[in-house]
Amino acid sequence: MQEKFARSRVLFVQYLKRDWKKIIIWILGLGLFSAGFVPAFEEIGKGQGLQGMYETMQNPAMISMVGPTPVETAADYTLGAMYAHEMLLFCGLFAMIIAALHVVSHTRKEEDLGLTELVRSFQVGRQANSLAVIAEVVLINFLLALVIGGVMTSYGADTISADGAFLFGASIGMAGILGAVIALVMAQIMPTSSGATGSSLGIVGLLYILRAGTDVSNVDFSMINPMGWTYLAYPFTKNNWIPLIVAIVFSVIVVIIAFALEGGRDMGAGYLSEREGRESAKKSLLSVPGLFTKLNKGVMISWLIAFVIMGAAYGSIYGDMQAFLESNEVMSQMFTISGVSIEESFTGTIMMVLIGMVSILPIAIVNKLFSEETRLHLSQLYATKVTRAQLYWTSVILAIAAGIVGILLASGGLGATAISAMGDRSSINMRDFFVAGYNFFPSVLFFTGLAALALGWAPRLGKAVYGYLGYSFALNYFGGILDLPEWFAKTAVQSWIPRMPVDPFDAATFIAISVISVALMVMGYMGYRKRDMVEGA
Amino acid sequence: MTNIVKVQGLQKSFGKFKALHDVSFTVNAGEVAGFIGPNGAGKSTTIRTLLGIIQRDAGDATIFGKDVWKDSLEIHKRISYVPGDVALWGSLTGGEIIDLFMKLHGGGDKTKRDYLIKRFELDPKKKAKGYSKGNRQKVGLIAALSVDSDLYIFDEPTSGLDPLMESVFQDEVEKIKLAGKAILLSSHILSEVERLADKVVIIRQGKVVETGTLDELRHLTRSTVTMVTQGDVAKMASVNGVHDFKQSGNQATFSADNECINDILSEAAKLGVKKFESVPPTLEDLFMRHYEV
Repeated sequence: MQEKFARSRVLFVQYLKRDWKKIIIWILGLGLFSAGFVPAFEEIGKGQGLQGMYETMQNPAMISMVGPTPVETAADYTLGAMYAHEMLLFCGLFAMIIAALHVVSHTRKEEDLGLTELVRSFQVGRQANSLAVIAEVVLINFLLALVIGGVMTSYGADTISADGAFLFGASIGMAGILGAVIALVMAQIMPTSSGATGSSLGIVGLLYILRAGTDVSNVDFSMINPMGWTYLAYPFTKNNWIPLIVAIVFSVIVVIIAFALEGGRDMGAGYLSEREGRESAKKSLLSVPGLFTKLNKGVMISWLIAFVIMGAAYGSIYGDMQAFLESNEVMSQMFTISGVSIEESFTGTIMMVLIGMVSILPIAIVNKLFSEETRLHLSQLYATKVTRAQLYWTSVILAIAAGIVGILLASGGLGATAISAMGDRSSINMRDFFVAGYNFFPSVLFFTGLAALALGWAPRLGKAVYGYLGYSFALNYFGGILDLPEWFAKTAVQSWIPRMPVDPFDAATFIAISVISVALMVMGYMGYRKRDMVEGA
Repeated sequence: MTNIVKVQGLQKSFGKFKALHDVSFTVNAGEVAGFIGPNGAGKSTTIRTLLGIIQRDAGDATIFGKDVWKDSLEIHKRISYVPGDVALWGSLTGGEIIDLFMKLHGGGDKTKRDYLIKRFELDPKKKAKGYSKGNRQKVGLIAALSVDSDLYIFDEPTSGLDPLMESVFQDEVEKIKLAGKAILLSSHILSEVERLADKVVIIRQGKVVETGTLDELRHLTRSTVTMVTQGDVAKMASVNGVHDFKQSGNQATFSADNECINDILSEAAKLGVKKFESVPPTLEDLFMRHYEV
């Protein structure tokens, strides 16, 4: 014991010193985001607002995105109930992702960079680092829970009680810890840090999608989903601490598994090891497109699989929609009056979400060229007859192709499962799904264009494109809930695109955004052609 | 056209930091130019400018008479480059990466590749992330030496290589030099430069402070003389051209200006010389002379 964890306290203090700025941004940023919307929700809840929102939120499409509520009548849907219902899952998801990224960056990544090797040469236990990182993440999430609870209580709203507020905070903190322990296990299993990051995020995404299915069909099943243990605490309504206790037990078990896995492997190795390679290269590798396809292969395959699964998971919800409409007269009338079927309306919303996800892949492929540049992988290539145009356009075209295939798989997965779930009652066919999906193609192009522009002129901002994607995603996500001013909603590129099949196709917008995106790519190329290569600086 | 590389008054700044103030030198066909200087002196920046990876602020730089920025592709068809820190894709094997580099350069020689893999004792089946620093360096060197070029640019190519492999590298460089190729060799290992280089370019804080053949440089510098005499050797201290005089008993050690060597010898003869040794300065002495003081 002593032997394994020696000096972990030193490392723990060291991490706090190294990360203090990040920790402050993490706690305050996520804390205020989670707790700070109380006044905005009070605004929504005025007059008939709460009842109206209750009806809206009964829609399976909404439940699949934000989660369920235990409230059974509109009259009981208080401000606190609404806040927990609409905010908790999303904030918990963020907390999980941030914590998972942080854990991988301090474990597997440091190993890949050779820092761990140096640290281990001192009198430091073999597992001291993992223990220190987990301790750091637990501390951060504990503080985060307190900040959220404190801020929410400070508003003094009637239905936002102190114990509910602290339960709300604790649920988000617990979500962070769950994300951290999942990442710690993945850091042991995967052979590289990018593999560990990818698989951790993949698991988090999968848990989110699975709970979308179980929340709509039978909430009880969400209780076996780790992501369910956050929002099923139902702060302000049931104030149920049991899910959190389950989560703590689960986390402890997972950490023990992670430590056991770590104890059994060599530094720098993973459980999924690699085979011996080829002596000579295959023909398909021997070109710039061949090289970049190979370099991006892992990322592309895993994301493309993820798109199919995400599409399929949302598609499975379609079967429950008619049953929901039959049980809810108000909603049933609403859809009859508007002349739009519930399936069509759901498709429009979900497609926006799915294609937002699809945009991640092209951004990653374009950003890859810059990370290759800083890692000095291209130094020797620059001295060959390979042109900058080849490097740039290969990456951009590969990104666009990945976007096209991504949309195909996401809408195909959604459509195929939806149609089989609906059976004969189907009001939309496969073609509608593909059309609705490719309708968002300009937005994928636009994100690719932004990433390309950054690559050419300010390559360090390439990561910021993810930030804008997250922002537009959040804006569209909350756009359905909050009443945002038109100009504000339009700062997200997807807001310009009509949601098919409910809204008609808008050729002018489709072409305009596509042309702007291509222009961004060309501008990016002009910068890339003449800028200095960074080379590890 | 004898000048393969011609650099004149090269300047480059990164923000406020001026990395290159004034760099000028030439490299000719059939010649190895040693490019030496301490860390941060601007060696790699100069090389990256030559490769068209970064753009110069002022001055002229041509390779094969062509502008290194505007005509970089034309130039790149006929050059090979090995960086000081060869970074490789961890998921590809050494063999795959060598093939890729050869293909992207064009005109590689498969038998030469296999011969070099054997000579450098590289395991080409291993994934690159398992390679040590020296093995990564070998991948870069094999790829660069397997293709036919007219100019070879090596930026500290032997860092991490063991002495046996260093000497394999030096053999190979001598071969390409005899074949009439031009070689720009940036290195910290002065013995390597001394063995290979026909010409030395010394750079310090972004400026070329010395350039010429080793003989020329040596001539400008003092030789170290050790002598033992019958008479009182202390008299030598006051002879013109003698510096840093040190005496122990009848033995004296001092540095001597090369143009005064005749005066020194005739003074010494009067004292009755029992032993006289004159050692020309090593490259290390030359190098140190520019950085001390």
